[in-house]
Amino acid sequence: MIKRYLPLIIVFSCGFFMIIAFFIPLRWFQNTSQTLQNWYTGIINFFVFIGILNLARVNLEKIVKKRTDFGYSIVLLVFLLLMMVAGFFMGGTGGRAFLYMFNNFQVPLSATMFSLLAFFVASAAFRAFRAKTPEATLLLVAAVIVMIGRVPVGYWIWHGFPNVVEWIMNVPNTATKRGIIFGADLGLISMALRVLLGIERSYMGGGKE
Amino acid sequence: MLNTIGIWIAALLTLAIYSFLYKDNFFYKIAENIFVGVSAGYWAVVLWFDYTWPNLFEPLVRRHDYLSLVPIIVGLMMFTPLIPKASWLIRIPLTFTMGVSMALVVTQRVQGDIFPQLQATFLPIAGQSFLTIVTNLLIIIGVVVTLVYFYFSKEHKGILGLAAKLGVWFMMIAFGASFGYTVMARVSLLIGRVYFLLHNWLGVLR
Amino acid sequence: MKLIERLAHIDRRILFLLVALAVIIPLLVPMGLPVDITKPVQDIYNMVESLPERSIVVVSADYDPGTEAELYPATEAFLEHCFRRNLRVYMIGLWPGGTTLANIALNEIAQKYNKVYGLDYINAGYKPGGQVMLLSLGRNVADVVRTDHAGVPIDSFPLGRAVKAARDMSLIMTLSAGDPGVLHWITYFRARYGTPIACATTAIMAPQQYPYISSGQLIGILGGLKGAAEYETLVKRKGRAVAGMDSQSIVHILLVIFIAVGNVVLIYQKRKK
Repeated sequence: MIKRYLPLIIVFSCGFFMIIAFFIPLRWFQNTSQTLQNWYTGIINFFVFIGILNLARVNLEKIVKKRTDFGYSIVLLVFLLLMMVAGFFMGGTGGRAFLYMFNNFQVPLSATMFSLLAFFVASAAFRAFRAKTPEATLLLVAAVIVMIGRVPVGYWIWHGFPNVVEWIMNVPNTATKRGIIFGADLGLISMALRVLLGIERSYMGGGKE
Repeated sequence: MLNTIGIWIAALLTLAIYSFLYKDNFFYKIAENIFVGVSAGYWAVVLWFDYTWPNLFEPLVRRHDYLSLVPIIVGLMMFTPLIPKASWLIRIPLTFTMGVSMALVVTQRVQGDIFPQLQATFLPIAGQSFLTIVTNLLIIIGVVVTLVYFYFSKEHKGILGLAAKLGVWFMMIAFGASFGYTVMARVSLLIGRVYFLLHNWLGVLR
Repeated sequence: MKLIERLAHIDRRILFLLVALAVIIPLLVPMGLPVDITKPVQDIYNMVESLPERSIVVVSADYDPGTEAELYPATEAFLEHCFRRNLRVYMIGLWPGGTTLANIALNEIAQKYNKVYGLDYINAGYKPGGQVMLLSLGRNVADVVRTDHAGVPIDSFPLGRAVKAARDMSLIMTLSAGDPGVLHWITYFRARYGTPIACATTAIMAPQQYPYISSGQLIGILGGLKGAAEYETLVKRKGRAVAGMDSQSIVHILLVIFIAVGNVVLIYQKRKK
């Protein structure tokens, strides 16, 4: 019983207290609301730590059971350990070893991973961006206008080009995005109410109750 | 000397990732796994020193602020799936965080998003210059027809169908603009890496 | 085989090579194309110009190394402007990678203007919790920020003591790569506390911010590398963003050619059928 209903009581009571506190400016409500928010931020920390523990556990299992490509898991765990040792035992977040690894490993790897997409966009531009329907043609025309107008060469070709782009962004783009904002927000609010009322429980995970 | 070695490491890792463009290979996979390991380690360290220790554990250990025990104990329940009999306890931190965040979604999305955006859509269509009236009308119509397009409770026929069709046209322009910006973003990231290789590593750029 | 049939089956690695050359050549042989200034960027510049000296600007580094190519130049240009105007900078971050990366720019540019850490600028570090944390931050900074990025108690610095709540912040500049980021600063922080918000975002996110500029919830936006280049031009800083604009222009033209050729191939294939 307690395994089933305690979580629902928590989500309902915390949630509706926070909503009520929004409307009541009394000090006790505001202070308690602030405390709950602070606890939220504190608990979120552990979500990250469990994620990292899980990553380590999955890769360790791969190594122990000698699954395919377990060598790469060794590399992953070695660097995870190196980074943590550099951070925890060699001067914290300002330590030379930690910053060295951040600047010469994490930054280039992260930046390069994302930059790969430029090549695939180019390949897609050639193979997939086809004006097969009037709507697709309109999309492509708008895209080409923005692509040229947004960069200095567009301004060089015609000084009015950036103004055309700004008009596209301020009028049809703003209108569409605003409509999408309304739709998305209403959907999000209805989902939030479902969670608070205990109708939506998928986030709790499965398992025995 | 150490700086030079660092730049070489960064450059070689960059080239290892780019080798994927030719085909998937050993160097790319190694670099990928280094990336995951280093990122995870980094996050743990920064989180601990920037928030977890000063905000949760230090008040408890040094100032005996026992109220800090609440988020610590509830947070530690995240680890209970490791103990099968106690695994249900993970629902407590999950439901607490969902309760708080969902409640704030309900209030803040209305106060911070819906109301201001709605207010901004009530634009004047009289007493303005012709161009301003046309612009304002386009925005109002654009918002309405976009919403009409996503209304699926009635078949898109007649006036509703026309409005939905107009919504599609507005959306195509907006998504085309977004696509143009997306291309720009991807290219910018590539320029950043090439700049590093040419300037910091090879030193051929002034 | 006809040229057009060859083009239809072109190896994508040739396309990759063309893109690489389109990036490298303009960097080696700059063309010096002029950078135009758009209104959303000018508005941010004007806002910073209008702030009284010693006003506190909160710079939120909400990005990670993956998007540093677009947002790091914007960080540098904005910080340069703040220090030149003798404004105080309070840095914080909603993403773990942001404050470490932005800290490099912060220290370099502060040194250039002989600014003193703790008095003229401070780095409060990464704070988890996203939108929920922002509400706590605005009401009582001490609930969220206990130490700076180096672990020193924030109250031991004059600037740390000066920022107690949202009312002490004259402007929020968020350098945002996603979620949590500018949307949450607007819908949570600004909605509750009214502090003016400006942003620099990746180009992907830029179109989504225009409704907020139109509604007055956002002062302006530095969209992508071009936005950073515009700001560098305004503050007269010789930075990476302006240097990259020639390459950006050439690659865009190349991609438009790719799209055009791709559609010519489509028309040819349709006619053949």
